[in-house]
Amino acid sequence: MAAIPGLINSTIAAARPKFAIFMKYAKVELAPPKLSELPQIKAGIGKLLSSAKSGAWRDLTVKQATLNTLVGAEVLFWFYIGECIGKRHLVGYDV
Amino acid sequence: MSSLPYGPPVRVSPLIRFGRWSFLTVGIVYGAFHQNRLSKKEERLREIEAKEKPIRDAKLAAEKALASAAEIKALEEMVNKKLGSTTLRINWHKYLLNE
Repeated sequence: MAAIPGLINSTIAAARPKFAIFMKYAKVELAPPKLSELPQIKAGIGKLLSSAKSGAWRDLTVKQATLNTLVGAEVLFWFYIGECIGKRHLVGYDV
Repeated sequence: MSSLPYGPPVRVSPLIRFGRWSFLTVGIVYGAFHQNRLSKKEERLREIEAKEKPIRDAKLAAEKALASAAEIKALEEMVNKKLGSTTLRINWHKYLLNE
C-alpha cells in the first residue's frame, strides 16, 4: 500500500512530457476554427453539397471513401462527447 | 516546432475543425436540455409514486388479510370435517389470528 503514492507520482512524472507534446499538437490540430477561416469553411460545405448533388462522391476510390467515412465518424463522435458533458454523466441520463 | 517528435502538426482542414467544435457544442446543449427535461419528468413521476404508495400499500395489506382469512377458514373446515361432529371442534381462527 505504501508504494501507491510513489507509483502515482512516477506515472505523473512520466506522463508530463508526453502531455506537453500532446498539447503542442492539439493547439494546432484541435484548435477551434478562427473567424478568418470562415470562407474556407463555407467553401468546404459548398463542396460537400455540390459533390452530394452531382454524385461526384461516387467517383472516389475505396480508400478515399473509407478515409472520408472515418473522418466523418470522428467528427460525429464529438457530438456524443458533448452530450456526455452536457448531461454530466458518462452512461445514460442520471435523473 | 523543432522539439516535436512526430514532425510538424498536420494542418487539419478548417471544415473538419468547424465540424468537431460545432458538433461538440450542439452535443453539450442537447445533453443539458435532455438532462433537464428527463429529470423534471422523473421528479413528477416520483411525486405521483409517493402519493400512490400509501394507497397501494393499504390495498395490498387488505388483500393479504383477506387471503389469509380465507385460507384459515378453508383449513378450519377441512380439519373439522375430518374430526367430525362428535369430537372437539377447534377454533382455528383463535389460534392462528390471535382473535
